[in-house]
Amino acid sequence: MTSQAMDNNDDSAGLIEQVQQAVDSKTPVTVSGGGSKNALGNQGATQGSDGSDGSTTLSTLAHQGIISYEPTELVVTVRAGTRMVQLNEALAAAGQMLPFEPPVFNGATIGGVLACGLSGPRRPFSGSARDYVLGTRVINGQAQDLAFGGEVMKNVAGYDVSRVQVGAWGTLGVLLDVSMKVLPAPELELTLVQHANQGDLQAFVPLVRKPLPLSGAMLIDDTRYLRLSGSEAAVRSAAAELGGDVLEDNSLWNSVRDHTHAFFRGAKQSVEGEGKTLWRIGVADFAPALELSGEWLHEWAGGQRWLLTEMPANDVYRVVAAAHGHAMRYSVGATDEPAFQPLEGAMQNLQARVRDSFDPLRLFNRGRFHPELDVSSNVEAARA
Amino acid sequence: MSADPAFVTEASSDASILSQQQAHQRIARREKAAAELSQLVDPQAVLWSIEQLRPYESDGLTAMKATPLLVVLPETIEQVQAIMRWAHSTQTPVVARGAGTGLSGGALPHEDGILLGLAKFNQILELNPEQGFARVQPGVRNLAISDAARPHGLYYAPDPSSQIACTIGGNVAENSGGVHCLKYGLTVHNVLAVTIVTIEGDLLDVGSPGHDSAGYDLMALLTGSEGMLAVVVEVRVKLLPVPPVAKLVMAAFDTVEAAGDAVGEVIAQGIIPAGLELMDKPAIQAAEAFAKCGYPTDVAALLLCELDGIEEEVNAQVAGVSKVFEQANASSLHIAATEEERLLLWKGRKSAFPAVGRLAPDYYCIDGTIPRKQLSHVLQQMEQWSAEYKLPIANVFHAGDGNLHPLIMFDAGKPGELHRTEELGSRILQLCVEVGGTVTGEHGVGMEKINEMCVQFDANTLTQFHSVKAAFDPDGLLNPGKAVPTLQRCAEFGAMHVHHGELKFPELDRF
Ligand SMILES: Cc1cc2nc3c(=O)[nH]c(=O)nc-3n(C[C@H](O)[C@H](O)[C@H](O)COP(=O)(O)OP(=O)(O)OC[C@H]3O[C@@H](n4cnc5c(N)ncnc54)[C@H](O)[C@@H]3O)c2cc1C
Repeated sequence: MTSQAMDNNDDSAGLIEQVQQAVDSKTPVTVSGGGSKNALGNQGATQGSDGSDGSTTLSTLAHQGIISYEPTELVVTVRAGTRMVQLNEALAAAGQMLPFEPPVFNGATIGGVLACGLSGPRRPFSGSARDYVLGTRVINGQAQDLAFGGEVMKNVAGYDVSRVQVGAWGTLGVLLDVSMKVLPAPELELTLVQHANQGDLQAFVPLVRKPLPLSGAMLIDDTRYLRLSGSEAAVRSAAAELGGDVLEDNSLWNSVRDHTHAFFRGAKQSVEGEGKTLWRIGVADFAPALELSGEWLHEWAGGQRWLLTEMPANDVYRVVAAAHGHAMRYSVGATDEPAFQPLEGAMQNLQARVRDSFDPLRLFNRGRFHPELDVSSNVEAARA
Repeated sequence: MSADPAFVTEASSDASILSQQQAHQRIARREKAAAELSQLVDPQAVLWSIEQLRPYESDGLTAMKATPLLVVLPETIEQVQAIMRWAHSTQTPVVARGAGTGLSGGALPHEDGILLGLAKFNQILELNPEQGFARVQPGVRNLAISDAARPHGLYYAPDPSSQIACTIGGNVAENSGGVHCLKYGLTVHNVLAVTIVTIEGDLLDVGSPGHDSAGYDLMALLTGSEGMLAVVVEVRVKLLPVPPVAKLVMAAFDTVEAAGDAVGEVIAQGIIPAGLELMDKPAIQAAEAFAKCGYPTDVAALLLCELDGIEEEVNAQVAGVSKVFEQANASSLHIAATEEERLLLWKGRKSAFPAVGRLAPDYYCIDGTIPRKQLSHVLQQMEQWSAEYKLPIANVFHAGDGNLHPLIMFDAGKPGELHRTEELGSRILQLCVEVGGTVTGEHGVGMEKINEMCVQFDANTLTQFHSVKAAFDPDGLLNPGKAVPTLQRCAEFGAMHVHHGELKFPELDRF
């Protein structure tokens, strides 16, 4: 089954033209897809609501559609502005899925999902967004139309620029098209519900080192949820081994993934009403409970932890760094504290040079990701 | 591959082609560098006599040779840092080397540079079965990690056929794969973090013990970067539970094309085997003669299909693929009866390269990847070219991934035969690009496929690669001239096409 999208869904020429104008006039560009993640990241130099710094917005929405999809090749190539809902539907129709199970926030596009590097509950068991990206077509900060990687599973020609685009928040280029590896959807999926002690993360540790068909593991209050996926035989036997109440309805996982679960709805209210902050904390699954007060929801067998807290950002960053992890603010900031774990020293310098190598004028999403990477003599020169 | 005889001869004969004066200057430079480096490491760890340098002249791609200024074998990270600072301040090129099993000339020395051998970094620093990881030095052999993990029921998944010898540092540099990467991924999917030394001598931790880290995903850039961006001095790998059950289905076919089509059908059934390997007749016969593993030798193609996981699942999948193979007209079907037999059948596959090596004085291994649906087309075209060039080709490859390894058999002793082999290899790689694939799936570009990179990437993209390199290594001191061709070189390669390889290349310029 190959579906060829119509050409009037190809807006690459228009997007390249827009970037070229931005380069010529040295105007910062805010890259946007479905806008579902506008509240995430830093406000950014280019995000003033009145656009007072003269920045322009570049929307990928007119550049959409599936370019090619061949289930037997396990590869799909799509335009960045394709809505997640549409992409998931096409894959499901062929009995396949994106193995990194990305969140589907309202209106989200695949370009936005990859730029923000988002993965869902399956992540610790089957891999992350970047693991499944095979190739990209990108507009760099010089308005050049570049293609990296490809549609094949193994490719080591040139540096892996496609994967480094994932989670770069658009600061290394505008994603035009992406090729991803897809996998067959499991024959059966079910959820086990087990009683657990509050904050008992250590129970996950032995589980994830066993050859079990796990595809989700989370702890909400005093309940542990395990999701099993695979052939009917494998899932049933693992369910018997692990024990717990069996839930055939798996919608819980999507609600956590998409932040429609009660925890996240409550968090939204506390953020708006009480000035609390929601944090996403990435640590090793075996990292002990963190000394941060607030309400927790633990995903990824303890590798992704959500915290709703009143604590100041600096405390969160300090405690998380000590646990060899990193934190990201997941709600609109009440203050101008950074939204991402700050980079320091030689690592900051190296990352700034990487940014420079793609976007020497630092036009894309300036200030949105790690503002410390955007301070450069080049930017000064561009302004002059 | 470089159809580049000028480079080979100039490089290999060291002083003989250089003028007397140049040779003297070189010796003086070598002596000075040796004296300076002997201040930084044990003088015994600085090799600089021609006899000592000989073993380091090439990696697994023996057609290309060069003598480095000297070889230095540090044993601590501090020494690596000091060496890098020295190289940076003296603007001396640095080529890192693991076990030297690379097949693309990635560890080919630079004549004016030092070869940084990491063989002494051979310790497993930590193996944590509870937390599922190992921290190892870069010179640790791939198989040594799995051997150490196995008593705990764990292993390191990527298993290149060279795993007895190749190092994890080399694996990271090449993003190596193995026969099991269809299901378990490549090096990039199995390495959590690395510690690197930059050309300035800075020590940086990249990646994290968790699932992601702040800032850009530099792990993605470093993995597969062929020693062009930094020197890896420590690697943290993920250990996976050994699957409780593994079963191997061996199916024989009357044509290679039928076997190729069966591969696509397996995937279409929603089954992802742990490994799915294809061998053609010359490869089967060579492997059987070498490993005596029980392959049928009168068939055109064999598929080795491994299913692993929980017993119930594996049984269902074995039934599933068996049905697919029957429907694809397999002439015979065999399921390894015992664990010994399963390992023996794999042994044949894993020793296919050296086995083919016994059929001809030399062989040349190609490493293109193509979309699976192009398998029959590309295999047929290769057969035709093989006849045209009068050079036999054996095929043994990662069919599930579409990663081809045609082995061209030749005799380097016959005048012009290496050159024709390289030309045939280059045509095959260009065909891979034409059908939507790539010039290298897992062996890297190195020096070997530098020209074919010009076919795969346009000038702007190559320039972007150079900018990435410059972000790490502004002076272009790490492994200069490899992996990404200069635009000038591509212009010359274009000319070569017109003149069928008669043009000689000037010495590579440094980026
Ligand atoms: C018989 C045979 C079978 C093979 N089978 C496979 C296979 O199945 N799959 C596969 O992928 N490959 C295979 N290879 C190729 C080769 O073994 C791999 O590329 C391997 O990863 C190279 O490791 P090495 O330690 O020998 O590296 P080397 O050859 O020493 O170096 C390779 C590259 O890595 C760089 N490098 C080495 N160490 C470091 C470091 N610490 N820091 C930075 N850069 C470094 C070098 O500069 C060079 O560019 C095979 C080779 C042979 C000879």
